[in-house]
Amino acid sequence: MATKVLMEALSPTMEEGRVVEWLKAEGETVKAGDVLAEVETDKAVMELQARADGVLRKILAPAGSTVPVGDLVAVIAGPDEDISALLEQRRPATRSQEPAARTQPRAPETKVTPAPAPPAAVTGGQPERADRIKASPLARRLARERGLDLALISGSGPGGRIVKRDLERIEAARPAIPAAIPAAAYRDVPLTQMRKTIARRLVESLGPVPHFFLTVEVDMERAWDAREALNALGEEPRISINDIILKVVATALTRHPECNAWWQGDHIRYFNEVHLGMAVAIEDGLITPVLRNAERKSLREIALEARDLAERARARKLKPEEYTGSTFSVSNLGMLGIDEFTAVINPPEAGIIAVGAVTQQPVVHNGSVTVRRRMRLTMSCDHRVIDGATGARFLQTVKRMLENPLALVW
Amino acid sequence: MSQDLEVVGLGRIPYTEALELQRRLAKERIEKRRKNDLLLLVEHPPVVTLGRGFRPEHLSTPQALLQARGIEVHEIERGGDVTFHGPGQLVGYPIFDLTEHRTDLHWFLRQLEQALIVALEEFGIEAGRREGYTGVWVLDRKIASIGIHVRQWVTWHGFALNVTTDLSYFDLIVPCGIPGVRMTSIQKELEEKAPRDLWARTLESVVLGFAQVFGQRPQMVPLEEVAEAIT
Repeated sequence: MATKVLMEALSPTMEEGRVVEWLKAEGETVKAGDVLAEVETDKAVMELQARADGVLRKILAPAGSTVPVGDLVAVIAGPDEDISALLEQRRPATRSQEPAARTQPRAPETKVTPAPAPPAAVTGGQPERADRIKASPLARRLARERGLDLALISGSGPGGRIVKRDLERIEAARPAIPAAIPAAAYRDVPLTQMRKTIARRLVESLGPVPHFFLTVEVDMERAWDAREALNALGEEPRISINDIILKVVATALTRHPECNAWWQGDHIRYFNEVHLGMAVAIEDGLITPVLRNAERKSLREIALEARDLAERARARKLKPEEYTGSTFSVSNLGMLGIDEFTAVINPPEAGIIAVGAVTQQPVVHNGSVTVRRRMRLTMSCDHRVIDGATGARFLQTVKRMLENPLALVW
Repeated sequence: MSQDLEVVGLGRIPYTEALELQRRLAKERIEKRRKNDLLLLVEHPPVVTLGRGFRPEHLSTPQALLQARGIEVHEIERGGDVTFHGPGQLVGYPIFDLTEHRTDLHWFLRQLEQALIVALEEFGIEAGRREGYTGVWVLDRKIASIGIHVRQWVTWHGFALNVTTDLSYFDLIVPCGIPGVRMTSIQKELEEKAPRDLWARTLESVVLGFAQVFGQRPQMVPLEEVAEAIT
C-alpha cells in the first residue's frame, strides 16, 4: 500500500521545514526506520524516517526546498503500484485547509496573515484552479495586490461570483479574525519584571523549584456515599475514591487555569486543557502516567483509564508519550495508610496534590461531636507560578466539590 | 523524564573524537541502553565546522589556508551554518531524549539558550535572545552559538560558549552565516572583573543552568564510564 511521507512537525511552533538532503533516491528500496532525508528548522536538523517498507517512488520536495508542515514530500509504494491518485489530491488539501489550521496555535499573538498560498497560477500544480473560481477582474487584481487567496473567500455576486465588495468585507473583518479563531491549547504569558525578580529570589533561597505547601481537611462522607451508591449499581468499572479525586481535580483546574501551568524559565504557559499526571508506585520507583484531557472525561472514563494506566505502569508497558506532558499531578498514598504528606513537584508543572487516607475522625458537626470520614489534601505549589492565595482558592474549590459531589454534574 | 543529568568532562580533545563519542552515546540513548540524558563538556583545538545550512561564501578564508594555520575543517550533520571552536571556548554536547521532555525542537533550542542565559547571570552578564537568530547574545554581540542534530528525538551537537576564546579566529569565517556579526566572550564582557578561576566557574554555572532549566539533578560521571572508545 502506498504511504505518504509528510513534512513532520519538529515543533508545535514549526510552520515549515527545509529539506536539507535526500539520503535515498527515487526508485531506491527503503525499509521502515531508514533515514530518507534530513529536515532543518531553525538551527536543528532532524532525520526524516520511512514509516513503511517499499520503494521511494516519488520525491516531491527536492533538497533545498521549504515545505509547510503536513505537506507531502515523498511517496513510498510498491514498485508497480499506481500512485497517481495520491499525487493529484495533494494540492487542494494542503492549500485550503492546512495553512489555516497551522496558524492557530500562534493566533493570539500574530496579526492576521494573508493566506500564505501564492496565486495558483504560479504554483504549477493546477494552473486551472484559479480560473475555476468565479471572480470579477477587479476582485482578482485586488486579491493579488492584498495577498488574499480567492479560494478562501465566498462570493456574493451573481452565481457566487467574488466581487470587489467581498474583498472589502474581508479587509474590514480582519481585526476581528483572531478572536474568531478557536482557542489554542495554551497561552504563553511573558514574565513581568516583578515575576522575574520574585522567581530569581525564591530560587536562590529555596533551590531549583521554590515549593510551598497548603493543606486542607476534607469531609468525605458525601463522596463516600456517592461512590457506594454508584458501585451498588453493579456496573463496571467500580469507582474508587481516587477516581473521584482525579475527576474533581481536573474539573477544578478548568476553573482555576492559573494552577494548570508550566514554569518555562522566561514565561509561564497556561494550559486550556488538563493533562493530569497520576503518580503510580512501581517496583523500584515511581512513574506518573497522564490522563489526557481529563477535564473532558466522565468519572467512568477516568476510572477505566486510570486503572489501565496504573496496570501498564506496573508492568512497565507505558509508551513515553503516556507519561510525559502532564500539566498538573496527583499523588495518592492513602491506600498505604499515610494520613498526610507533601509531594514533590514534577517540573515544569506548577503544582501537585498529595492525597492522604480517608479515616474516621471525631469532628464537631452541626454543633455536636460525631464521627465522620475525613481526608487531608496537601498541595505543593511552585511559587514562581502560583501565589498563596491563588493556590488556596483552587484548593477550596477542590474541597467544596469533594464535599458536594453533585458539583461535578452541575 | 530522565531525573539525572550525567555530566561528563572530556577536557581538551580533538573534534572528531568528541563527535564519534557523541554519535555512539546518542545511539545508545536511542536504543534505550542509557537511561539518563548526558551533557558532554569539552574544549577543542582550533577547528572550523560546516553545518547543514552552510553556504560556501560564509567561509571567507580558503580551506587550504585554514589548514595551513593548523585549523581543521569538518563538514558535519548539525543544523546551522559555519562556526569555529577553539581553546577557551566551552563546548557542550547535550545528548537528550526529547521524548522524555517534549518532542519539540524549537522548545529544546530555547531551553539550551535559557540554560546559558541563566549561567551567564552568575557573572552578572545580562544575556538574551535575538528573534530569528538562535544563539545567546549580549546586546548585539554573540556569546554562544547553538546547532543540534536529532535522530528519533535524541539530540547531539549542542552549544559553544566563548569563555576566554581568542576572538580573532572568528575573522576567518562569517560566524553562523550572519554577516557583520560581532562575537564576544565572558572574558571580554567582564574585562578586569573576570574571576581568576573563570573556566571552572563557567563549567559549574553551565551545569547548574542546565539543572535548573531542565529540572534535572546533575551527576558528575567519570570519563571512563562513557568513553572506553577514547584512547
